[in-house]
Amino acid sequence: MLFRIARSREGGEITHYDVYKVEVSEGMTVLDALFQIQDRMDPSLAFRYGCRGAVCGSCGMLVNKMPVLACGTQVKEIRDLSMNLHDFPPLTDIPAGWDPERSVLIEPLPNFPILKDLVVDLSKFYDALEELKLWAEPQPGNEARSQFPEDRKRIERYVHCIMCAICFGACPVNHEKEEYVGPAALAKAWRFYDDARLTQRRRYLEAAKQEHGAPLCELIMNCVRACPKGVAPGGAIRKIKSESIE
Amino acid sequence: MVKEHDILIIGAGLSGLRSAIELVDDYDVAVLSKVHPLRSHSVAAQGGINAAIREEDSWRDHAYDTIKGSDFLADHDTVELLTKEAPRAVIENEQWGTVFSRTEDGRLAQRPFGGQRYPRTCYAADRTGHNLLHTTFEQALRKGVKIYDEWFVTSIVTERDRAIGLTALQLASGKVEGFAARALVVATGGYGRVYKKSTNSIINTGDGIALALRAGASLKDMEFVQFHPTTLAGTSESRYSSNILITEGARGEGAYLINSKGKRFMHKYAPEQKELAERDVVSRGILTEIKEGRGLEGGFLHLDLTHLGAEKIKERLPGIREIAMTFAGIDPIEEPIPVEPAHHYSMGGIDCDRFGRSPLEGLYAVGECSCMSVHGANRLGGNSLLETLVFGRIVGETIAEDFDGLDDTKEDAVDDAAFEMRQKLQRLMLGERGEPPAEIRDELNETMDEKVGVFRNGDDLEKALSRIKELKSRFNEIALGDMDERFNYTLIRTLELENLIDVAEAITKGALMRKESRGAHYREDFPERDDEEYLQHSIILRTDEGLEVDYRDVTLGLFEVED
Repeated sequence: MLFRIARSREGGEITHYDVYKVEVSEGMTVLDALFQIQDRMDPSLAFRYGCRGAVCGSCGMLVNKMPVLACGTQVKEIRDLSMNLHDFPPLTDIPAGWDPERSVLIEPLPNFPILKDLVVDLSKFYDALEELKLWAEPQPGNEARSQFPEDRKRIERYVHCIMCAICFGACPVNHEKEEYVGPAALAKAWRFYDDARLTQRRRYLEAAKQEHGAPLCELIMNCVRACPKGVAPGGAIRKIKSESIE
Repeated sequence: MVKEHDILIIGAGLSGLRSAIELVDDYDVAVLSKVHPLRSHSVAAQGGINAAIREEDSWRDHAYDTIKGSDFLADHDTVELLTKEAPRAVIENEQWGTVFSRTEDGRLAQRPFGGQRYPRTCYAADRTGHNLLHTTFEQALRKGVKIYDEWFVTSIVTERDRAIGLTALQLASGKVEGFAARALVVATGGYGRVYKKSTNSIINTGDGIALALRAGASLKDMEFVQFHPTTLAGTSESRYSSNILITEGARGEGAYLINSKGKRFMHKYAPEQKELAERDVVSRGILTEIKEGRGLEGGFLHLDLTHLGAEKIKERLPGIREIAMTFAGIDPIEEPIPVEPAHHYSMGGIDCDRFGRSPLEGLYAVGECSCMSVHGANRLGGNSLLETLVFGRIVGETIAEDFDGLDDTKEDAVDDAAFEMRQKLQRLMLGERGEPPAEIRDELNETMDEKVGVFRNGDDLEKALSRIKELKSRFNEIALGDMDERFNYTLIRTLELENLIDVAEAITKGALMRKESRGAHYREDFPERDDEEYLQHSIILRTDEGLEVDYRDVTLGLFEVED
């Protein structure tokens, strides 16, 4: 099978696409294919990787214009994948010569500066965690607190977020507004705001509702469709929007 | 220009971050990691974290189970520290915000795990590592821990038997820089990628263990390699078995192993504990079934969860269901999961005491890359996450105690080491003719899977050792191909391979020398445990003549050694 891979050896823009012929076998993931290329054909190809088990969040990228984890995507299933994303330029700009019947298109995750090939600069994504102070303040005492299963269940799906930045890369607002903190940070803010164990929870809501936060979200819901872990940040953002700070 | 800090921590998983949190208020501490901290392998731990937090349970029972599980090779004083501190570590993390699974009345829930007489494993569904790592990272952010992410450490710099700094390669720029510090902590995790079949992340290449060995530290108990009985196998038509972990928590919730006849078999190998026997026992049981012809085509067996019902699977094992569906196309609510044993954990590591002090002054180790000897010959599930958090804190405290007695940093020596490392990497990248490193990695993986696996014997180990030595010399004649300085992952993977070869040699040498079977180390030619000769830790040191193996007594005192 042919893989058409976006290249940018100096970073910045995608300069060209290289085509590689990959020997596909049953059970092979996109990440396996990329390693086959790096090991056997082109040692200069750069991409991030980690667990190969869809838990560490290192290998988010665009595969046939869909933002996915390379390790969690089976090569033979790529053609059947469909996300029904709301379009924005990185998803609609088709590179010259790409025929989806003939090759798999691999590109870096949109909405981030390209550092090299498929490696993007995630610093603004990580920085939001600090800007919004997305952590719990430990409380004094040396007993575990109670948390009822139903209280846990309310926030559980947000806790599943692996910070892979796929939601950020899939969001049309992030594409237009560099200052938007993005869906993952807002989902995490909601996770703390709705954690019944914590005190001073209002600060998370205030952080989420600041001008570069939830107000910029247009509830397009690409984040919900693309999230590989079912976190559904859009639901959290909808709740943030309707919650009053008073 | 050498960068200076009071303390440098290599590795940003649970151990490294927890050590940093302990030190950051009073010292200039920096963490170096070859990946972003949230990508660390700690994130993949599934099952849980042990702590005797109920009245019916006690640290002594936890200690006894740990020592018995270790096949009596664990040091009793280290185990005592681990088990006494366990509740504090779990509660601290709960206070930091981890969303643990709960009982109906809101208390921390606990599940049964193999080799333990009491359900003492606290858990966050089957994503315990993910929860703990994200929480610990959040606290490191809150405290303002300085992190150099995507920096690959290339050497530990020493001067007169004392660690004084390190050299590291920044992935983004391709530049090598020197870092000087009074104390260094190695917290780089395990080395799963020595094997082809492993539950570990691709990044688990034993870097810290190899760096410490080269810097003159000794390694301990390297032959004790844990194979996890249930990892995701490829189906008969598939070449790819991902070997992603299928947590022991699944068996804790009642999943069974079945052979190709559709029959349960663990009662033959462990009549009382069955599926919840120690991991080495279950791994050998599965492989014996396969060897005797009761495996499925392609060499695997089934783990059956179907009788647990959809509700329990969705609530307690949602991650397992997702893994089976994504990577094997199987929904465990309806069909059994194909599983096989694969490498999972390294009991051995950098030789250090229970406070993390290695024999090399200024060098400390913690977590899976260390061997304080808490797991002995076989680790119990739920004790590794515990080790990272308990000893992460203790190593931080220890360094604070030692700090004033450690000499000030020596910038010149570090600068020289950085210069030498730049030259070494230049040479490596300029080689035009030679074989690609991936060939050597494949052969190393194959050798280790086949000859240094669950079942071992002297012949195979000899062959493996000479093969590893051959690969080591072939490594000097490699060519990396055409590439750039920036984000040069081929170079990183080649440096990792260099580390893997050294680690593989230490494992194999240790296994060859230990002529007994104990815990995870099973010798077909010496099937019995031999306390007379081998109730001892093996200590490996690098000399000019190669690796030398010595032995040291196990610290006893809490419980009698049993058969």
